Amino acid sequence: MDLQLTEEHLKFRDELRTWLDANLERPWGEEVRDPQATEDSLVELRRRWQRKLHKAGYLGMGWPAEWGGRGATEVEQAIFEEEMARADAPQILNSLGIGLLGPALIHHGTEEQRRRFIPPMLAADEIWCQGFSEPGAGSDLASLRTSAQLDGDHFVLNGQKIWTTFGPWADWIFVLCRTDSSDRYGGISFVLCKLDTPGVTVRRLRQITGESEFGEVFFEDARVPKENLVGQIGEGWRIAMTVLAYERGAMSLAFAARFERDVRRLAQACKEIGRSDTAAREKLARLLVENEVMRANGLRTLANFADGKKPGPESSIEKLFWSEFDKRFRETALDILGPGAQLRRTSVAARADVDWEREFLWSRAGTIYSGSSEIQRNIIAKRVLNLPQA
Amino acid sequence: MKFDLSEDQELLRRSTRDFLASEWPIEKARKVMEDDSRGYAPAEWARLAEMGYLGLLLPPSVDGQGLGAVELAAVLEEAGRACMPGPYLDVVLAATLLAAAGGQDSLVKEIAGGTRLVTIAREDSVFAGTDVTPTRLEGGRARGVKYFVPFAAQTDVLLVTTPAALCLVEKPYDVVAMPTLDPAQRFGQVTLDHAATRVGDPSLLQRIDQLAAIGAGAMLLGVMSRALEMTVEYVQTRQAFKRPIGAFQALQHRLADMLLKTESTRSAVYRAAWCFDTDDASTALACASAKAYAGDASRLVCGEAVQMHGGIGFTWELDLHCYFKRGKTLEQHYGSTEVQLQRALAAAGY
Repeated sequence: MDLQLTEEHLKFRDELRTWLDANLERPWGEEVRDPQATEDSLVELRRRWQRKLHKAGYLGMGWPAEWGGRGATEVEQAIFEEEMARADAPQILNSLGIGLLGPALIHHGTEEQRRRFIPPMLAADEIWCQGFSEPGAGSDLASLRTSAQLDGDHFVLNGQKIWTTFGPWADWIFVLCRTDSSDRYGGISFVLCKLDTPGVTVRRLRQITGESEFGEVFFEDARVPKENLVGQIGEGWRIAMTVLAYERGAMSLAFAARFERDVRRLAQACKEIGRSDTAAREKLARLLVENEVMRANGLRTLANFADGKKPGPESSIEKLFWSEFDKRFRETALDILGPGAQLRRTSVAARADVDWEREFLWSRAGTIYSGSSEIQRNIIAKRVLNLPQA
Repeated sequence: MKFDLSEDQELLRRSTRDFLASEWPIEKARKVMEDDSRGYAPAEWARLAEMGYLGLLLPPSVDGQGLGAVELAAVLEEAGRACMPGPYLDVVLAATLLAAAGGQDSLVKEIAGGTRLVTIAREDSVFAGTDVTPTRLEGGRARGVKYFVPFAAQTDVLLVTTPAALCLVEKPYDVVAMPTLDPAQRFGQVTLDHAATRVGDPSLLQRIDQLAAIGAGAMLLGVMSRALEMTVEYVQTRQAFKRPIGAFQALQHRLADMLLKTESTRSAVYRAAWCFDTDDASTALACASAKAYAGDASRLVCGEAVQMHGGIGFTWELDLHCYFKRGKTLEQHYGSTEVQLQRALAAAGY
C-alpha cells in the first residue's frame, strides 16, 4: 500500500500549479460575481480559458500525440481535475466534446473524422453538445426514438433531444438515434449533426437555478451526410457505453478539493456569524469528515489507476457518493447559515464567500445527470453484488 | 502508488484469515462469548502471542515484529470479520503506549509473549457528560474509579490515565463486572487506591488515540463486511412472493448503499493507517474521519442487515446479532463518533 504520488506525478502537479498561478486571472467564483458578467460573457471566458489550456498542452492529455496527447494516464487526468478544482478555475467550454466525443472518435471514428473534428474541438472553435436524453428516454436510454433513416448518401433525422447541456451555445451535436426500430440496442447509431442544419431547432430551457445552460433540440427531416456516422450502423449503443465510462472517471479528488474550500469557508462563516454552538459544530464536523472519506475514495481510485487497474462498475460507488454528498452538504450549509444562505448573489446582504443559494440548487443536478442515483444503485446491485434480476 | 496491500501485507491478511478460521470459527467464538466469564480463551491467546500478533507493532528490541498500522488494520479487519472475542486491540494499544513511553521493556516483552495482560484504564465516567471526577495520581498513589476497563478482571497490570500522568497499577484490584449488550466484550469497573508507577505523559495518548481509531475502524470494517456478506447470501436464498427477496429493488438499492458505506470505510481506514505509518500531515484528520465514518456506516450496515433478515435477524440463534452488537461497542468506544467529530474539527483548525 502506497498513497504517495510518484516523483513524476508530483512534478506534473507542481508544473500545473505554477502554470495556474501564472495564467488563471481570477477564480471562477469571482468571475460569476462580477456585476458586468452575463451568461454569454461567461461562455466566452470559458472559451478563452479552454484555448489557454489547449496551448499549454493540458487538453486531451491521454490521447495519441497527433491529437494533442502527451502520453498522460488517468492519474494525470485526475490530478489535473483536482488542481483545477483547487484553484477554482473555470470549466472548459467544450467539456462534452473533449470528455465524451473525443474518446468516441479516437476509439471508433475514421481517420477523416478525427482530422476534421478533433482540432477545432480542442481549440474551442466548434462547441459540442450531447444528444442522448429524450423526453421519453432518460434513465431508460435505450428506449430512445429519434430516428435516422438512410436516404441516398444522407441520414434523415426526426425526433427530439432534451436536457442538452450547452445546447444553446453549441455548434454541433452528437446524436444517439434509432436506425432500426426492431432492435433495442443494435438498432441505435451514433451520428454527428451540425446545429445550423435546416430542420434542426435549438430551444433554451430555464433551469432550477434560473440559468439556461441546457436546452432541447428538435429534428424535423434534418439531413446529415452519411460520413458523419461514427462507427458502423447499429454500433451506437456500444460507443455510448464506452464514452460514458470516461464520464464516470475519477472525480472524487476534484470534488473533495472543491468541497474542502467550501467547508473552510463555512467554518469561517460560522466564526463570523457566531455559530459556535454544538448543533452547528457537529453538522460542520460531519461535512468535514464525509469530505475526507470522499477524498480517501478518490485516492484509492487514483492509486488503483497508477497500479494499472481499470475502473469497473464500482466507479458507480464514487459517483453515487459525491453526488449525494453534494446535496447533503448544500442542505446543511443552509441549515447552519440560516435564511441568509437563500439570498441570491445579487442581493447586497448575500455572503461573498460562496454562492450558497446557487450551489444548493445546482446540487440537485448531480444525482440526476450522467446516470441517476437510482441507476448507479442498480449497477451496484446487479454488477457488483450480483443480486438476482427482478 | 498502490491502494492494495503489498505482497507481504496480503500474506499477513490471508494467513490471519486462515488462522482465525481454524482457531476461532464462529461456533467456537460464540461459546467463549456466551459461556466463558473471562471472555477469551488462554490457549488461543497463547497462540496469538506465539504467532507474533501481540507484538505486531512493537519494535524488534522488545520481541515485536516492527510492523505498522496498515498491517494492524489488515489483522483487525479479519478479527472483525470473525467477530473474534478477547482484548486483542486493547492489549496492542497498551503495549504500544508502554513502548512509546519507554523504560518498561520487560513488561512490554511479557505482553508480547502473552504472559501478562495489560489494558488501558481510561474512562472516568459511565455515561457521557461533563460531570466527571478523573482518577488522580497523588503521592505515588492512583485514586479514583475507572469504568469500562477492557477485560479488567483478566488483566495483570492496568495502564491508568490521569490528567497529570500515565501510570501502572499492579493487581490485585477489585473489579466489578460491567456486562454490556456485546457478548464479545468484558468490561470492568475498577476502584483504585493503589500504589502507581508513573510511566509517561498523557500527551502520549494522542498517537495511541489515532491508532485506536484506525484499529476500531478496521474492526468495524470487518464487522460490516461480514454482516453485508451474510445479508447478500440471505436475500439470494430467502423466497417471498415467489422470488428471492434480493430481486426486489426496495432491497437492492439499500444493499447498494450498504456496499457504498462499507467500501468507503475501507478507503478511509486504510488511508488513515497509511497516513499514520508515513507521518503524513493529514494523519489526525484522516484517523478521526475514518473512525467517525466507520461508526455511522456500521450502524447503517448492521442495522439494515438485521432488518433484511426479518424475524430470524432478531434471534439469538443467528450469528448476525454478534456483529450488530460488536459494531455498537466499537462505535461508542475507542473515541466515540462525537469525540472523533471534535477531533476532526480541531485537526482542521476549525
